Amino acid sequence: MMTSTDPEYGPGRTIPHPVLFRLLDSEADDTTVPEIKVDRSPEYAYYPGCIDYYDQEMQFSHVNYGETNHGIIFDSSIKLLRAVGIEPTILDRSFMKCCGHDQLWQGKVDVFKKMRDYNTKIIKMLGVKTLVTSCAEGYRTFRLDYKLDGVRVVHITQILYERGLRVPPQAEGKRIRVAYQDPCRSCRQMPVDPVYEEPRELIKRVNNADLVELKTFRADAQCCGVAQMMYCNDKTKGLTAKRMDEASDVDADYLLTACPKCLTHFGCLHHENKWKPGEERYRYRVMDITQFLAERIPGDYPTGGNVDARRKDPPLPGRKGGSS
Amino acid sequence: MEIERVKEKILEGRPGFPRQYGPDRADHQPGIPFFPQEATRDFVVIFLLTAIMFFLSAYLTPFLGPARSPQISELIVPDWYLLFSWGLLKIADIFPQFVIGPGTPLETRFDAAFWGDLLSGIPVIFLLLVPFLDRGRETRPAKAPVRSAVGLGFIIAWTFTASLYSIREVVAERWQTPDVDPSEAVSTAAALIPDDTMKMFFLVPPILVGLASYVALRRLGFAPMRRWIVPLCVAGAAIAAGHAAAILALPGWLPPLVQPYALPLAGFLAILAGSSVLAAAAVVLLPESRARKAVLLVGAAGLALFLGLFIAMDRTDPIGLLFILGILYPNMNTLLFLPSFVVLTAWFGLRRPYSTYEFLLNECYQCGKCHTVCPVTKVEDDALGGLNLVYNTFKKQHDGVPLWTCLACDACSAVCPLDIKYSDYILEERARSYGRLAADGSGPE
Repeated sequence: MMTSTDPEYGPGRTIPHPVLFRLLDSEADDTTVPEIKVDRSPEYAYYPGCIDYYDQEMQFSHVNYGETNHGIIFDSSIKLLRAVGIEPTILDRSFMKCCGHDQLWQGKVDVFKKMRDYNTKIIKMLGVKTLVTSCAEGYRTFRLDYKLDGVRVVHITQILYERGLRVPPQAEGKRIRVAYQDPCRSCRQMPVDPVYEEPRELIKRVNNADLVELKTFRADAQCCGVAQMMYCNDKTKGLTAKRMDEASDVDADYLLTACPKCLTHFGCLHHENKWKPGEERYRYRVMDITQFLAERIPGDYPTGGNVDARRKDPPLPGRKGGSS
Repeated sequence: MEIERVKEKILEGRPGFPRQYGPDRADHQPGIPFFPQEATRDFVVIFLLTAIMFFLSAYLTPFLGPARSPQISELIVPDWYLLFSWGLLKIADIFPQFVIGPGTPLETRFDAAFWGDLLSGIPVIFLLLVPFLDRGRETRPAKAPVRSAVGLGFIIAWTFTASLYSIREVVAERWQTPDVDPSEAVSTAAALIPDDTMKMFFLVPPILVGLASYVALRRLGFAPMRRWIVPLCVAGAAIAAGHAAAILALPGWLPPLVQPYALPLAGFLAILAGSSVLAAAAVVLLPESRARKAVLLVGAAGLALFLGLFIAMDRTDPIGLLFILGILYPNMNTLLFLPSFVVLTAWFGLRRPYSTYEFLLNECYQCGKCHTVCPVTKVEDDALGGLNLVYNTFKKQHDGVPLWTCLACDACSAVCPLDIKYSDYILEERARSYGRLAADGSGPE
């Protein structure tokens, strides 16, 4: 067995994620619902999900000092929603809980039920009419596993397509090849409104981008390798590598996804691949589709981009790498 | 617009959640349609055989044999599989009988034989219509509850009661009320099961059988059947209890000859009506699992008490028992069938099915597409040795490794020709497994 300090592989291979889930499970135990007063019930609410958790977890695990940036998903989503004329109420973690997808799929149904009931109460209290998520798992969970009668749950690409997001013409230059990874949760597992076409249509609106399809796509798309954050080992890395090889095979410049979990694991392997600079295989960028679109739209990010200056250079190998 | 076109394709035949079965399912319809492909071929064969029969009957006259011997039995019955038709011919006299245009060449007799022939045609007509009425492709009874309930109630129970009616003379001869008149010349013996009661057998038992089968089969398919069993059980119990109370309490309902046996009769009626009332009360008042046990207990106790009382009276006072049966049997439809129906329907409707996804996974015919697309089998070490996640999870082999190795990416369900949602099964099994581990105090970490 390799250890986490093995320079051959990097630290990311043998990490389970118990701390994150201990944290989320213990948060679910507090079921007191705060009293929230709003002037008028919001038409649109945006639920960022646990993307900030992932950034913390990745930093805590000393994995992510690469380019992967989960926090930018939140900023990009707000920027994009504003670009189509929506000023959403932000359902952030100060008064919401995790949506419970991972707990449900790990078998912790009691924890999931606590989270579901809590979140449902908050959403009903606020009187949200349309709930926008930027996360494939959140989309599936709110849509299928919650009972949010009267609340329309949409994935952000759906609302952007529906409201007609306009991407201004880009600067002349090299055309870019963009591949899109279909997350299982928002595509195959959705019996109603699977998100297949909206992301592709949005990518096509970027005038210098060519949409390329991976070897497996739409309902046949291969999984990114890890679901519900349960394992991280050589087998799951192998699946992730298989999927990323498909993007290499079609000479993609960008590998986009709509699921933070896919982003986490693609980014992890992408970063790990740089540890041997001579053998770099993945010469494309991995990012969320919201980040890709927001970069191509003029205007500022609402909170200044959430980009850590320290992350520009890859860290030194080892557990202490990158901790300045 | 491209997106609408593609969406149409993806959502073809999927207005809401995908139907597991049934005519609404537009994708993956295997086989050849009944109409017109199969029907054309069948008609060719039918016409050919009809032509052969016409030819033979036109040119070859069969020898019909000697006249019937007067020595054989008075009771003429056809073969057993045609008894139902015989019964229908016998019940046909309830219909009006008249003749249209007597004395003319177009004289038509609407007599018992005509109505009996018409009634006998009903099952055949029904069988002809079934492929057009039910266009589902499910052959398992539990997946097609309406069809199966109609089949059990109409084809089996109704045919049986119709056959029973064809031997009504035998029944009337075999079970008779006691002959209390001492003189040889006068006989007061009458049939224990009168003709009117037997006529009702054409209606009541098939309907009850059909309803009970429907409830049981829907329950087997994991539907909460409370909406069905509460009205059925309460109505059944109310009718049975009301009839029993009327027999005992209202003057004129109890014949004078049976008056001395009012006490044991009340015992029988209390057992029958009481068990149905208790079962209905358990269904309404208790939570499901306790109601199921209560109904089972009530049903078993009712049956044991009824049989015990019956045997005890048969040993001590057989004439009295016959008098009591003279009350019970003519009212068999309400006093015997309804209580059994209430207890059985309540128990079937509350039964806990064996395992949710066993029901769905049983559809699998091992085409192996799921194994082919499963991404995990490509990287797991024993992929060549056959770590078939779907198969092994279903068989609960590999010590739960497949269960926890599965990514729940649903690639298997996407290719499944039968739309089996394997990820739902994973969800349920993991929840069960985690709950078991947590109960042991050793939750997985």
